[in-house]
Amino acid sequence: MKDEFKPRIIGFLCNWCSYAGADLAGTSRLQYPPSLLPIRVMCSSRVDPLFVISAFLRGADAVLIAGCHPGDCHYQEGNYYARRRFACVRKVFETLGMESDRLRLSWISASEGPRFANVITEYTEKIKKMGPNPAKKNIFL
Amino acid sequence: MKVAKIKVKDNIEKTVLSFLRETIDKKLFDAILIPMMVPAGDSYAWVLAQDKSLLDGAYYLPPIMSVQGAKALSSVTKGGKVNKRVAAIMRPCEIRAAIELSKLNQIELENIFLISMDCPGALPLKDWLKDPKRGVDVFKKVIQHFVDEEPKPDKSVRPACAICHRFSDSDAVDLHIGILGTEGEDILFIPHSTQAEAIFAELGLSLNENLSRWQKGVDEVLKQRKKKRAQVQEELKSTVVGFDKLLDTFSNCINCHICQSVCPICYCRQCYFDSDKVKHPPDDYLMRAESKGNISLLPDKILFHLGRMSHMALSCVGCGACEDACPMSIKVAQIFSLIADRSQGLFNYIAGKSIEEPLPMRVYEDDEFHEVESP
Ligand code: SF4
Ligand code: SF4
Ligand code: SF4
Ligand code: FES
Repeated sequence: MKDEFKPRIIGFLCNWCSYAGADLAGTSRLQYPPSLLPIRVMCSSRVDPLFVISAFLRGADAVLIAGCHPGDCHYQEGNYYARRRFACVRKVFETLGMESDRLRLSWISASEGPRFANVITEYTEKIKKMGPNPAKKNIFL
Repeated sequence: MKVAKIKVKDNIEKTVLSFLRETIDKKLFDAILIPMMVPAGDSYAWVLAQDKSLLDGAYYLPPIMSVQGAKALSSVTKGGKVNKRVAAIMRPCEIRAAIELSKLNQIELENIFLISMDCPGALPLKDWLKDPKRGVDVFKKVIQHFVDEEPKPDKSVRPACAICHRFSDSDAVDLHIGILGTEGEDILFIPHSTQAEAIFAELGLSLNENLSRWQKGVDEVLKQRKKKRAQVQEELKSTVVGFDKLLDTFSNCINCHICQSVCPICYCRQCYFDSDKVKHPPDDYLMRAESKGNISLLPDKILFHLGRMSHMALSCVGCGACEDACPMSIKVAQIFSLIADRSQGLFNYIAGKSIEEPLPMRVYEDDEFHEVESP
């Protein structure tokens, strides 16, 4: 039998909201697929487009950026900038015909443990349908 | 709008130079930043000319773009403003790059008087180097075709120029030199600032309205370039778009980073891709090779290109310097034009158009881009 495809998602989670939200999902023992490899960043605005592209080219099936809801950023406005940057990377992917759905931006607060579990479950399902990242096996990168 | 018309004596180049000489003579400027032919006769270098006699070998519109003008200006003003009055005469894309760099604090425009011109384009460096003398003649033809009452596109200019639709942009300059639609008979000096008008007064240049012939020329070239741009971008879509095609496009890239080092907009004082950040321990590469069965070296070629695009496409001015310098003739600037149009379009931003418009990454609105958020 063919091995089932288990997506690997790299998640950049902001320390103050989404990482805490992930923590809450864990301590509340919520069930969600083990597809996420979380990386803690101080703010969603810390995520340089290079982080995203790097993760993608190194074979991540998807990249998630998660931060505080607009208006709630610990540094007041970081996530507004993060959103603009994200719109740009997505545009680069779209323009070049790369699957921009493999990139995702979501706002998850520290109290939204269940939401965190939902986002991961739902996104994992979606990526499963899309199949593995084509960059994974390509050597001429 | 009021403009000053000057009759061409000998040729356009000489007439513009004599105008510049006079500004120095009358002490309206202390120095002029302008390209000058090098003694060997095979290239043009930027000089800061302080003496009118030194303007002899200068060319306000040289056949090639050797060093992007904004880079030259940045090398002078990176450390702060100049305390003398300097006129900088540059192609429109060089002006736009200078405007972007001033927003990035790498050029200080105080005391700098910006002059641009209708630009027919520049010759590809590779063609030029084969025979510079011939290049000079080829470029004369390019200008002839450009200023004709029925302007004709000239195939000898760089691909980036053939699709450039901002060849006459002048919003951010003090003075624009119009040559389109004139049949090479006269030159229009179009003032865009009160300072420019003051200079005209000093020089006794009278302003008489007559822009219609010029405007007709501008509109016609604009039409041609826009058409070409759409056509080239459409073709690019079929050759570059799609992950595999993208890799094919860059497959002969030798990772030399020259496209980055000549780009005026790649403003980082140290490029990330030349830093220790991209030098990983040996095990990292072996690990990557293990998971793929193989990795190609030098590593991170596509990361470099995608990274550069996402870092600076918002400020890319389409000057073509990257493509002109690429030793492997990769269509870097044409690909960038595609990315730049789309990403600048997200913010209704045009790189280098106006000094007032803030860089898109420096501002935001509370209520925007919800389409990229996932619930
Ligand atoms: S891209 Fe070419 S045509 Fe456009 S302004 Fe620059 S040199 Fe001139
Ligand atoms: S990327 Fe190329 S076309 Fe764009 S500004 Fe840089 S050198 Fe000019
Ligand atoms: S200049 Fe050409 S070969 Fe060198 S890195 Fe850029 S695209 Fe590759
Ligand atoms: S601190 Fe959470 S997005 Fe800025």
